[in-house]
Amino acid sequence: MRTEQEIFDKLRDILIDLFEIEPAKIQLEARFFEDLDIDSIDVIDLLLKLNEVTGKKIQAEQFKHVRTVGDVVSALAALLNEPRERSA
Amino acid sequence: MLNRIWRAFGVSLAFALFGLGGIALGFVAMPLLRMTTFDAKTLRRRTQRFVHQCFRGYIALWQGLGLFSAELHHLERLRAPVGPRGRLIIANHPSLIDVVFLVSLLPEVDCIVKRSLWRNPFLRWPVVWARYIPNQAGETLVQACVERLHAGRILLVFPEGTRSRPGEPLLMQRGAAQIALAAGCEIVPVLVRCEPEFLSKRQWPWQAPPVKPHFTIAIEAALTPRAEPLPGEPNALAARRLTREFLAWYTQKLGITPL
Repeated sequence: MRTEQEIFDKLRDILIDLFEIEPAKIQLEARFFEDLDIDSIDVIDLLLKLNEVTGKKIQAEQFKHVRTVGDVVSALAALLNEPRERSA
Repeated sequence: MLNRIWRAFGVSLAFALFGLGGIALGFVAMPLLRMTTFDAKTLRRRTQRFVHQCFRGYIALWQGLGLFSAELHHLERLRAPVGPRGRLIIANHPSLIDVVFLVSLLPEVDCIVKRSLWRNPFLRWPVVWARYIPNQAGETLVQACVERLHAGRILLVFPEGTRSRPGEPLLMQRGAAQIALAAGCEIVPVLVRCEPEFLSKRQWPWQAPPVKPHFTIAIEAALTPRAEPLPGEPNALAARRLTREFLAWYTQKLGITPL
């Protein structure tokens, strides 16, 4: 289990590393496109990074309705905390 | 004064001719052209060259009607042989007619075109046969552009994504930089100047300026023979840096007050 706070902290570090976004701008309610200047190509880079960090395959589909940093945190929390697949 | 009234009338006439010409060419000339070959690449070459010739004629018409004058600098740079990674031409976008002007200078060029034209009954087939690139989201668009560039073709992109807002600092999207970095291609900048303001984002087409507008179109020396990230620089940051470089270059050359 990972708390939303831990996920948010990790996401903030990634956003700073990948896109050099000012740390103060990264809030749960910050919108990617309007507030953080992250465009659709950047989102692909972000997804690749999240795949690498979480070890989970995140599909672009799952991020279709994501608008804010908080949306990503919730989506990641749901993904990371979902029950493990039963081994056959 | 008389001249100004004539120019206001002439612009309306020229737009009407564009519409009628578009219908005539789309319904008559284009289908005939289509029947000359079954090979997609030959068809693309013929369609693009045909569009180029039409736009050349159209620009000559505007000048012949005395609606504007124009001077062109360093056209030879457009004719220089293209390398294996292709050539990206970027241009600023002060007026509605810039794209017609630039295509009139390039016999064969790939352009990014509004996706809605693929559903336009008059323009659908010309854009399909010329294999222009529909502006779809993100990665698909970049990928389509890279394929063209790596086939050694010339691609025209307006980094601003829309016409400039006169009197305001330039704003650019990062798409042009993303494409250049993904292809590792040559970048040739074109400077388009128009004095006074004409067919700009804040004018109606029939608003004729007090004096006859004069276009200066300069093909500048390549910004880089090969766009690439700095050692160890992530792609997203390279795209931001390159876009800042484009913006600084145009802002300085055009004498615009920066943001």
